[in-house]
Amino acid sequence: MDVLDELKSLFLEDVTELLADAEQAFLSLEKNTENPDMIDKIFRLAHNIKGSAQAVGFSEIGGFSHKLESLLLKIKKGDVKLSTPTVTLLLECNDYLRASVESLKKGETIAVDEQLAARVINATGDQDHTDGSSNQVPDDIDLEAQLDQIMFNSPELVAAVTSSIPADQLFVDAAAFASKLVSELTQENLTPSPSTQSTSTSTSTSTSTSTSTSTSTSTSTSKDHAPKVRSTESPDESIRVSLSRVEKLVDNIGELVILQTVLSENRHQLPTQFLQKTITQLAKISKEIQDIAMGLRLVPLKQTFQKMQRIVRDTAQSLNKDVLLEISGEDSELDKTVVDRLGDPLVHLVRNAVDHGLESTEARLAAGKPRQGTIKLRAYHRSGRIAIEVRDDGHGLNPDLLHKKGIEKGLISANQKYSDQELFALIFHPGFSTKSEVTDISGRGVGLDVVKTNIEKLLQGEVQLETVRGEGTCFRITLPLTLAIIDGMVVRAGRERYIVPLTHVHESVRPRQNDISSHTGLGLVLNLRGEAMPMHRLARLLGDNSPPQTENREETAIVVRSGTHPYAIIVDEIVGRQQVVIKKLGDELANVKGMSGGAILGDGCAAVILDLNELMHQGTAKNKPVVASLRGAA
Amino acid sequence: MESAGTKPTTTPGSQRFLAFSLGVEDFAVPLLSVREVVALPEMTRVPNTSSYFSGIMNLRGQIISVFDLRLRFGMKAEHGSETAVIIHNFSQLCFGVVVSSVNNVLSLKDTDISEKPDFHDMQANAYITGVSRYNDKLVLLLDVVKALRLEDVAVQKQAAKNKSAA
Repeated sequence: MDVLDELKSLFLEDVTELLADAEQAFLSLEKNTENPDMIDKIFRLAHNIKGSAQAVGFSEIGGFSHKLESLLLKIKKGDVKLSTPTVTLLLECNDYLRASVESLKKGETIAVDEQLAARVINATGDQDHTDGSSNQVPDDIDLEAQLDQIMFNSPELVAAVTSSIPADQLFVDAAAFASKLVSELTQENLTPSPSTQSTSTSTSTSTSTSTSTSTSTSTSTSKDHAPKVRSTESPDESIRVSLSRVEKLVDNIGELVILQTVLSENRHQLPTQFLQKTITQLAKISKEIQDIAMGLRLVPLKQTFQKMQRIVRDTAQSLNKDVLLEISGEDSELDKTVVDRLGDPLVHLVRNAVDHGLESTEARLAAGKPRQGTIKLRAYHRSGRIAIEVRDDGHGLNPDLLHKKGIEKGLISANQKYSDQELFALIFHPGFSTKSEVTDISGRGVGLDVVKTNIEKLLQGEVQLETVRGEGTCFRITLPLTLAIIDGMVVRAGRERYIVPLTHVHESVRPRQNDISSHTGLGLVLNLRGEAMPMHRLARLLGDNSPPQTENREETAIVVRSGTHPYAIIVDEIVGRQQVVIKKLGDELANVKGMSGGAILGDGCAAVILDLNELMHQGTAKNKPVVASLRGAA
Repeated sequence: MESAGTKPTTTPGSQRFLAFSLGVEDFAVPLLSVREVVALPEMTRVPNTSSYFSGIMNLRGQIISVFDLRLRFGMKAEHGSETAVIIHNFSQLCFGVVVSSVNNVLSLKDTDISEKPDFHDMQANAYITGVSRYNDKLVLLLDVVKALRLEDVAVQKQAAKNKSAA
C-alpha cells in the first residue's frame, strides 16, 4: 500500500466518524433550532471533511462539501431559516457523502449527484455567488471561508504540501499550515477585536479534529443509566489498532495464563514461601491482564444507538407520526463483532415499533394518550449478559387478532385453545404480519422471524416479548458480551476431548438401560421421561467405528434441543465445564464438517469445538432421521 | 534462531534451504517459508481428516494444523527424540509438518541445483522442484504446499486476501 493510499484509507475512516457526528448534530438541530453551538459544530465538521478530502485528492467529496459548507454558512449567519425541509436536505447530503465514502472504501469511483448539489445551491440562495465565495467584509466566519477558498482553488498548493512533507506528517502539517495562514490573515486584515479571538479558537478546534481526535456527541434526549458513566468532557484519547494485533495479544495472554496455571498447581513443590507467594501474585496479575485484553475488543453501543435517531425520524415522518426516541445505557460495551451484527436486527425492531407498535396520532388522542409516541431504547447488564430493550407505548399486541390471523394463515388450528404467550409467539413465525397493508417501512417481506433467527444464530442471543394491551410492547434482546468466549462442556469420545457449546446442551442424563431401545433401521432411541428422541454415539458420528469402551459403565447422554428436533448424544465421559476462547482453525480444515472452531483447554492442549447440529445433519444423511419429535419445539 | 548469529552471506543467484530427514531420506524446503521449528508437541486428532493429518497443536495460543510428511509418502511414522515440527508460513497459510529430524541450513547456488529427473510418478513430478547434492547425499527440494495437496486452500486464501486488500 503506498503512502497516498494509506492516507486515503485513513481519511475514509475519519470521515465515516465525522459524518456520524454530523448526523447527530443535524437531528438535534431539528429539535432545537436555536442552538448556535450545534451549528458551529456542524460547520466545523463540514469544513473538516472538505479540507481533508481535498488534501488526499477526493475532489468530488471536497467539491460537494464545499457547496454544503456554503449553505451551512448561510444558516449560521441566519440568512437561511432552519426548517424541517432544510434539515431533510442536510440529511440527504449526509447520506450522499456517506454512500460516496462507502464506495470509495470499496475502491469504486463515485458519481457527483448534480441534482442534489443543485438543490443545495438553490437552498443557499442566489444573493451570494453560486459557490459561496464572496468579497464581503471579512468577519470571523468569512475568513475561514476564504482560507477554504484558497485551499479549494489551489490544488497545486495542496499537491505541493502533499509531495514535500513526509506522509505521516501531512495531516498535522497541513493543519499547522492552515492555522498559520489564518493567523497571518487575521493580523493583516483585521483590527484586533473579540472576533479575532474566536477565529483562532475555532480554527484550532477544527484543525485538531483533523488529526483524529475523537469528539463525542451527546444527544439531547440521552440519559445515563449505564453502570460505567464516562464524562463526555474528558478528553479520552484513543488510537486505532488492527483487530488482528489485538487477537494476537489475546492469544499470547491466554498462553501466559495457561503457563501460570501450571506454575500455580505445582507451587507446593517449591521450597520457599517467598516464591509461592510471588506465584500467587503473578496469578492475580495475569488474570487482570487477561480481563483487560478481552476488554480491548469491546466497543460502546453509542454509535449503533445513535443511528436509531435517524431511523425513527425518517420512519415517523413518512408515517405522519410524532415519535420521541429515548436512549439510555448507550455506554454499555460489547464485543465489536456483536455490535456490528446487532445493527440490522435493531433497525428492524425500531422500525417495527414505530410502524406497528405505535398507533396513529388520531388513535392515540382518542385513547387519551399523549400525542407524541415514545420509544425507549435501553441497554443494561443482566447476569453477565447484556439486555437491549426496544419499548414502545403503543397499543400492545391483541391476542384475539393474532388468533384470527393465525387461523387465517393456517399456522394454528381453530379448535385448539392457545395461551396468550403462544399467540404472541406467532409474530416470530415466518410470513406473519398483522398489519393488513404492506408498507415499505417494515413490511418488506422479511419479518420478525428474520430478526429472531439472526439474533439466535449469529449472535447467540435470544429475543423476548412483553406486551400489555393498550400500554405498549417491549422486545428484549439478550446477548452475550462477546462471541470470542463461550461456555463449553468438555466431553471425551474415544481418546480425544471435544468442546460442546453449553448453549447447545439442554441437559445431560444418565439413561437407564430400559430407557434405551435399539430398533432395526432406526438405531438407538432414548425414552426421556416419555419423550422419544434419536440417540447417537459421538465417537461414531466422528467416524470412529471401534466398539464403545463404556459398554459396562453407565452411559452419559447430552440432550440437545437447539436444532429442529431434539436428539441425544452419548459421550464416553463429561470431563468438565470451561470457558474457552474461540480460535479459528486453519483453512485446510474448512471442508471438515461439524466443527465450529478450536480452543485451548486448561492443560494447554488444542481441542475442537463441535457443532452438534451440523454433525448430526451430516451423520444422519447416511442413516435418515427416524424418530420425528412428538412435541415440536415451535 | 540458530542461524541468526552467522551473517547470511546470500549472493545473488543463491537461495537458502532448511534440510530435514524423513526416515533415512533427505529433503529441503526454502528457508523463507519456514517460520520456526518446534519439538514434537501434544497433538489432538481431528475426526474425518486425511490419513496424513496428524492433528491440531497449540502454538502459543494459535491453533495450527499439523501434517505428517512421512505418512504422506508412505513411510513409517516413528517418533524419536529428534522428531520435530517445522512450522511453515506461506502468506496467509500456516501449518506444521512432522519430520524425523531437522538437519541444517543449506545455501545453494543455482548451479548446485540440478533439474529434477523425470519421475514416473506424476504427483512426485509436481511437488519435487529440484535435486541437489550435499555431503554426497541426494537432497530433494520440496514444494510442501503441493506435497500436502494444499494448493486449493492456498489459492483460495490468496484470492480472499487480494479481495480484502482491494
